[in-house]
Amino acid sequence: MNAHTPTALRELSYAEAIREAMDLAMAADDRVILMGEDIGVYGGAFQVTGDLVHKYGTDRVMDTPISELGGAGVAVGAALTGLRPIFEFQFSDFAALAMEQIVNQAAKVRYMLGGAVSVPLVMRFPSGSGTGAAAQHSQSLEAWLGHVPGLKVVQPSTPEDVKGMLLAALEDPDPVMIFEHKILYKMKGHVPEGYYTTPIGKAAIRRAGKDVSIVATSIMVHKALAAAEQLAGEGIDAEVIDLRTVRPMDHETVLASVRKTGRLVCVYEGVKTLGVGAEISAMVAESDAFDFLDAPIVRLGGAECPVPYNPELEKAVVPQTPDIVEAVKNVVKGRI
Amino acid sequence: MPDTQLEQNIPYAIRAYSPEQLTDALRKMFLIRKFEEGAEDSYTRGLIHGTMHLSIGQEASAVGSCMSLTDEDKITSTHRGHGHCVAKNADLGKMFAEFFGKETGYCKGRGGSMHIADPAKGNLGANGIVGGGLPIAVGAALSAKRLGTGAVTICFFGDGANNEGAFHESLNIASVWKLPVVFVCENNKYGMSTSTERSTAVRNIADRAVAYSMPGRTVDGNDFSAVTEAVDAAVARARRGEGPSLIENLTYRWRGHSKSDRNRYRTKEEISDWMGRDPIVSMSRLLVDHGILTNDGVAALETEAEQVIKDAIEFAAASPYPKVEEVTRDVYTVQEAAE
Amino acid sequence: MPIEVIMPKVDMDMTSGKIAVWHVAEGEAVAKGDPLFDIETAKAAMEIEAPGDGVLHFAAPEGSEIAIGQPVAWLYAAGEKPVEPPQRPGGVGTSPAADQPVGPDDRQSAAPDPVPAADPEPAHEAGALADDPAAAETGEGFRATPRARSLARESGLDLRGLSGTGPRGRIQGEDVRSALQTTRTAPAPARFAAETGPLAVTRSKGGTGTPVVLIHGFASDAMSWAPIEGALKQRPLIRIDLPGHGKSPKLRIPSFRDLVKVLREAFDALSLETAHLVGHSLGGALALALADTRPKSVSTLTLIAPAGLGAEVNGAALLGIGNATRPESLGPWLRTLVADERLVTDSYVRLAMAARSDPNLRAAQLAMADMLFPDGVQAIDLRAALERVEMPTRVIWGRQDAIIPWRHALRAPGRVGLHLFDGIGHMPQMEASDEVGKIIRSNL
Repeated sequence: MNAHTPTALRELSYAEAIREAMDLAMAADDRVILMGEDIGVYGGAFQVTGDLVHKYGTDRVMDTPISELGGAGVAVGAALTGLRPIFEFQFSDFAALAMEQIVNQAAKVRYMLGGAVSVPLVMRFPSGSGTGAAAQHSQSLEAWLGHVPGLKVVQPSTPEDVKGMLLAALEDPDPVMIFEHKILYKMKGHVPEGYYTTPIGKAAIRRAGKDVSIVATSIMVHKALAAAEQLAGEGIDAEVIDLRTVRPMDHETVLASVRKTGRLVCVYEGVKTLGVGAEISAMVAESDAFDFLDAPIVRLGGAECPVPYNPELEKAVVPQTPDIVEAVKNVVKGRI
Repeated sequence: MPDTQLEQNIPYAIRAYSPEQLTDALRKMFLIRKFEEGAEDSYTRGLIHGTMHLSIGQEASAVGSCMSLTDEDKITSTHRGHGHCVAKNADLGKMFAEFFGKETGYCKGRGGSMHIADPAKGNLGANGIVGGGLPIAVGAALSAKRLGTGAVTICFFGDGANNEGAFHESLNIASVWKLPVVFVCENNKYGMSTSTERSTAVRNIADRAVAYSMPGRTVDGNDFSAVTEAVDAAVARARRGEGPSLIENLTYRWRGHSKSDRNRYRTKEEISDWMGRDPIVSMSRLLVDHGILTNDGVAALETEAEQVIKDAIEFAAASPYPKVEEVTRDVYTVQEAAE
Repeated sequence: MPIEVIMPKVDMDMTSGKIAVWHVAEGEAVAKGDPLFDIETAKAAMEIEAPGDGVLHFAAPEGSEIAIGQPVAWLYAAGEKPVEPPQRPGGVGTSPAADQPVGPDDRQSAAPDPVPAADPEPAHEAGALADDPAAAETGEGFRATPRARSLARESGLDLRGLSGTGPRGRIQGEDVRSALQTTRTAPAPARFAAETGPLAVTRSKGGTGTPVVLIHGFASDAMSWAPIEGALKQRPLIRIDLPGHGKSPKLRIPSFRDLVKVLREAFDALSLETAHLVGHSLGGALALALADTRPKSVSTLTLIAPAGLGAEVNGAALLGIGNATRPESLGPWLRTLVADERLVTDSYVRLAMAARSDPNLRAAQLAMADMLFPDGVQAIDLRAALERVEMPTRVIWGRQDAIIPWRHALRAPGRVGLHLFDGIGHMPQMEASDEVGKIIRSNL
């Protein structure tokens, strides 16, 4: 097993990586079923399930009625009684219709019953802005669910991770909520062949640096990396951490980075107030890494308004690469 | 050969079940009654925290609905679910221990009255959310169908839940997918204080079955045999793979909605009228009339139930409390995630 | 004005230290950098140098326990008359540890207070405070980042004398660092005379097949592999001395990248088709970096308590070892390397000190430590490399490692084998030589 460099790395889109993960899981385990609206012959609103219905049939790739609450609850009940459902919300926004089953049932059944049962449920949430679909189809609601003990909430940012994390979610005995940014679906990247898992609850350092720690989630990881490249040209060496999991959050990777750089910028698309960045910031401020902070912590999050329709407005309400560059410069150069 | 005409006049339950099964059914009804009274008494003595929803008066619905189920079959229950647990063969000591918040309780003191479950006996649990169990029952039925276990799920819910979106979504999905689930509505006339007349557009909740293309029947929920006849037929239909049914058991809770209820929305006359239709008295009479039990035998069942409850309360009282430092245990199956 | 000598913080969780011995008598003159006194902390002993030239006065008695940052003596200029010790500016700028009760009870009577409480008029010495506009304006505090405050706490520096370069006069970490460099004898490494030339390589006799290349850790040398060499003798063993270590030249190494480059040159010069690579501590980080850039030449990789997988490192111990000039000051730090202190015998310490008797070697090592582990933090991060390398890789670590936390091992990806030993410190190859030898051998 000597080291070798593959001549060409296989690339898949993010959506294809999800489909490959589901395909692998369904081929390996009859208990794995897909449920969601228009995921059968239509292939899913974002063509994520694609042609899986032809391979596994309508018994395992199940079009639900437009009944988010009922459908989500059926998935909870099925998970409780021996199946491994993967439930797709057509848009993460529609989870609002199913919050009862997610928050009051799936997240709590195990605890309420003193550990007598587990809910091995995977839910997928196409989320985020950038599609011009406006306020009810563009939200990033991961912090809502991240607030609920009993759930695990992940935001894979790459094709490789989304495949590995979906398979890890299926191995997990507890409910795992996967937030998939819709703009990432077409992003291509290296995806290893075959079965592998990417751990839930572990952040990834996407770029090592010494001057500032940028902790980003989902699509913001890519914007942060682009910002870091620009900043490198100006002599600022930014470390970019892909948080990957909102709950349980990887404290140690973030803290080690902050101890090293002394500066923290959080970048996330969800509304800034009470969002994921608020949790990261507070976690750092409460830790021993506080003593290493050499500048105020900065959060870049979604604006305090619904996502608007007009494309320029839509861009303006979520952090963009120049915003990150500017914020990092302010922090590193002691302007704030 | 039995005379068919005569056979028709004998109540269904007597025809369908052995004397031992029927005696056991009456024993469970007494246990429910005594359990609820014991819980009420313990509550009054300050031994029970929070609140509770008593099902005194609804015993025939709980026990009668579960007659043809095995431990493989599932139920989902409601906040007024103690009776369903007993009907599904729960351990009464563990139930009381849960009420007392003890580590030996069904939920190790984490769930309380509204979350008793016993997965080993097919009881997927009571629910604190009105309508919360409906989609879950459909999911359990989906598992049974997909895994080919042959199990049927009975989904208990109250009249209040029939106006929740979850009710409609669940019945529709169960029907579209022809799932082995029986929706048993225990219509006790009031969702807290609001009567079905004031809350529900249809006269009978079972009428709503038409909208989801499934059989719907309304029966006297205090008549053990009538309940058994209707639910057994629905369970058999589900087992044959013909899909879900909706059964409405008309019944009445003698006590208020919960311990905070002042009974301002119903009259004393109405309550005493329903108390005159005590399902346990009716069931006792049925068994005595058909020579299955004597009056002494009935009295002995009652005395036996009182003793079982006494022992259960003693077990609960003597059990240890959970450790505070373990309060975050069981949030996740693999505990590191709770950090 | 006399020079203040304080009880320095030399250990992460140190709150006070005991004056073990004065090397200079009261009234004697010392020169800056001379050994002035030894301290003992809960964990170690250490020699402290004179912060300046002067005559020693008001020295705290030997055996007394002093909170960190508090004065233990004053150095007066030749003509200066030591009437009474100066009053330090008090208040928020002093170390919080100063308020903590110190010392065991039996020393209470001996505990000195070099600051006479009777002097209520310190105005003549309080210029620094009065001149600081930020402090004067806010009344209760001043603006400084948490990092600036913690750096000041560790070094015993009073922040109120500093002017900050941040917004609204905020004192930042950089301000403290530059203040420490200009106003004090920097604890940072002394200069050394740089040398040139290739790294020293030694080879074992005998052995066949793919050779094993051994890379030792910071402040160590090729001799340190002796305990496991017996287990590996079936293969040719090649030991490389790091720059500024053992027999290698004291190269000027400005960055980790340069260090890797030098090592890679030495490795390439061996012209091996493939090699098994074994590295300890800093050598582990280097082995990993080498494997990452020479994947075809490295058939297996064994990392023993490697650096580069996390931020934490025991900076005090690295400095302590680097600074030690005598067995007495080296021994306590060497004992932090192992879980069972009995392994570090007096003769072992003497031998170790003999190997580091050259001041130029110590200075070269301190310069390297300052570059790799500034402020006691690992500035090198090789986690991405560990994700990338594909050859069979093992990480060996002792769970009582007091130099680099063993939990860094948990950051390894799943395909990397972990061997974690209870009751073992930073030197598994010495503390559990049989086990470690077996593990490496089974990998060959």
